[in-house]
Amino acid sequence: MTSKKQGHESAIPDLRKVPLDRLTELGGSALAESIMLYRRRMNENSLPLNSFNSRI
Amino acid sequence: MTSNHHLSDEAFTALAHGDGDPGVIRELREAQYSKHLMLIRIVAQAAAEADQASKAVAAFQAGYELLAAVQAADPDSLTWLVGLPHIGAWGHDCLTRLDQGLAPDLGYLADAAASAAVRAGVGFDLDLPVRDGRVLFPGLGYFHGVDADSWIRATSDGKRLSLGAFAEAPCADICPDDGAGRVIPHWTGSPLIRAVTDGQVWEVLLETADPHLDRYTLPMVGELDEAGLAAWREQIQRAWTLLVRHHGWASGPMAAGTCVIVPMAARAEDDLDSATSPIAFGAIATCLPPDPVTTAETLVHEFQHLKLGALLDLVRMVEPSEELLYAPWRPDPRPPAGLLQGVYAHLGVARFWEAQRHVEAEPDDVFLAHLRYERWRPTIELCASTLMGTESLTPEGARFVAVLCDRGRSLAPSTASTEARDIAEELTLDHWLTWQLRHTVADASQVAELAAAYRRGEPRGHRSLPEVRLKKDTREVGSTVRSRLLNLRYLEPQGRVGPLPAGLPGVTAADVLLLDRRAEAAVAAYRDEISAAADPTPAPWIGLALAVRKLGSSPVQEALATRMPVIFDLHAHLSNLGVDSDPLAIADWCA
Repeated sequence: MTSKKQGHESAIPDLRKVPLDRLTELGGSALAESIMLYRRRMNENSLPLNSFNSRI
Repeated sequence: MTSNHHLSDEAFTALAHGDGDPGVIRELREAQYSKHLMLIRIVAQAAAEADQASKAVAAFQAGYELLAAVQAADPDSLTWLVGLPHIGAWGHDCLTRLDQGLAPDLGYLADAAASAAVRAGVGFDLDLPVRDGRVLFPGLGYFHGVDADSWIRATSDGKRLSLGAFAEAPCADICPDDGAGRVIPHWTGSPLIRAVTDGQVWEVLLETADPHLDRYTLPMVGELDEAGLAAWREQIQRAWTLLVRHHGWASGPMAAGTCVIVPMAARAEDDLDSATSPIAFGAIATCLPPDPVTTAETLVHEFQHLKLGALLDLVRMVEPSEELLYAPWRPDPRPPAGLLQGVYAHLGVARFWEAQRHVEAEPDDVFLAHLRYERWRPTIELCASTLMGTESLTPEGARFVAVLCDRGRSLAPSTASTEARDIAEELTLDHWLTWQLRHTVADASQVAELAAAYRRGEPRGHRSLPEVRLKKDTREVGSTVRSRLLNLRYLEPQGRVGPLPAGLPGVTAADVLLLDRRAEAAVAAYRDEISAAADPTPAPWIGLALAVRKLGSSPVQEALATRMPVIFDLHAHLSNLGVDSDPLAIADWCA
């Protein structure tokens, strides 16, 4: 997946050129797999927050 | 057929160095756009499966169709809207509610579509939800005082907008408030700050209304009055000037990737919390910092988090782990993913102070800049090394952290004064010992064996010290006030802190001696406090270590600094047996 030449292939589909009225048609495609992966990641990582108190 | 987002190796390496130019940030933003569309797609699926008679479902469907029309007419307006942190936060909230079997906030998509359509000049006719008398236009502002139960009809021909019979306005005026003084009845534009320095521009919204961005450690400031808004405008402008002129590595990328600031309500006047979330790329939440330098530091710190959060969406670098680790900037043990976020943010902080040391002119400010640099500089290599010692990093993560570690190592050597270095070391030790006594315990049976040997009067000799393991919140450590006072000296150095008032709650006589830098007397007073305590008490032990440190290097000082949990448990064990033992004698025995 990673090499100096190839760079880093992500699991996020590039939807920049996809018309919105076609987006819902992509249900059974790689998009569905990406969505599943994304949801799994969100469940693996608990509270998605980075917080800092400078007085501690 | 779609391909996936791809990050070049050059971009990955630049980010690992803590950099990433505006082009790299654009790549991250584009991936966030796709992520947000993915979230909209998930919610659309849920809406399609929900009760079609529901008004919220109808609003979602109408909003979705309107967004498609906006995309066809003016793709930039769709890109603007979908890229907003509002959409990421809303999408995440929808997912969370769906996973919990609850109805997501479907009506919000109609709000969002109306925002994009108003911006694009595309006509529409749809119902928008009314919440607490407000109708939101995400990224633009809100109508207030709306006298409707839960929904209001919004219509527009692309030039004028009507909200039922309640309000009407030109679409061009439904926009953020840039301070020009335009007044539209019932409309509050989100404050827009346009900071300009040397021709470089940063436009950022202050978000005080959107419920999906009210999600950080402190509540969002509900409304800003004129004075409050002026203070924010001034702080942001002055911080921007500082960043542009002296921290160019940070300013351009930050402006390219940060479009929203969420002002948070501080609990106390001197409190300064800041936060980000990877589900809301582009938004930084913070209390109003007290000065432009702190504002700039906060922006640098938080933007590091945003960059890394977006990178982690693209490249898996940390596996889920139960492991918990020490982070020198947090009171609690952190998982590897949290430590990675923290060390990455503090690389930015260290770089900020590395440069800022040479920017400051006033002696107090120079001192403080050196002190802060010395406080954070050593933590990068330390924490990166800790991460590399875990098994949680993926191969990409290991490479990222190795580059990060090298970058930490290549920070310029400290040129801090002896006093600044001394305060930095003291704060570092105080934090480390407090954390250890709060969250670690020594193996009880090994402590008992050691105690028996000590009672027999045997030298420790070759006996190894007990293993120490993490046990979160195992002891309460009541030294918060002393630590805050030590921090005050750090924040207000060079004698600006006067003598301590007598009888300050939470501060003992020994603490006063320590804070007054009367080390020998403090050592004696802490020994007395420890001996007089009915139960084992961590706070005076930490004070003792800090006071002994001031007397110079010695085996006892070294033992207290590096073996505190064992020494503490050994003393507690002996006390339980009725053995009255001198804290320094035990430390010496463990040295």
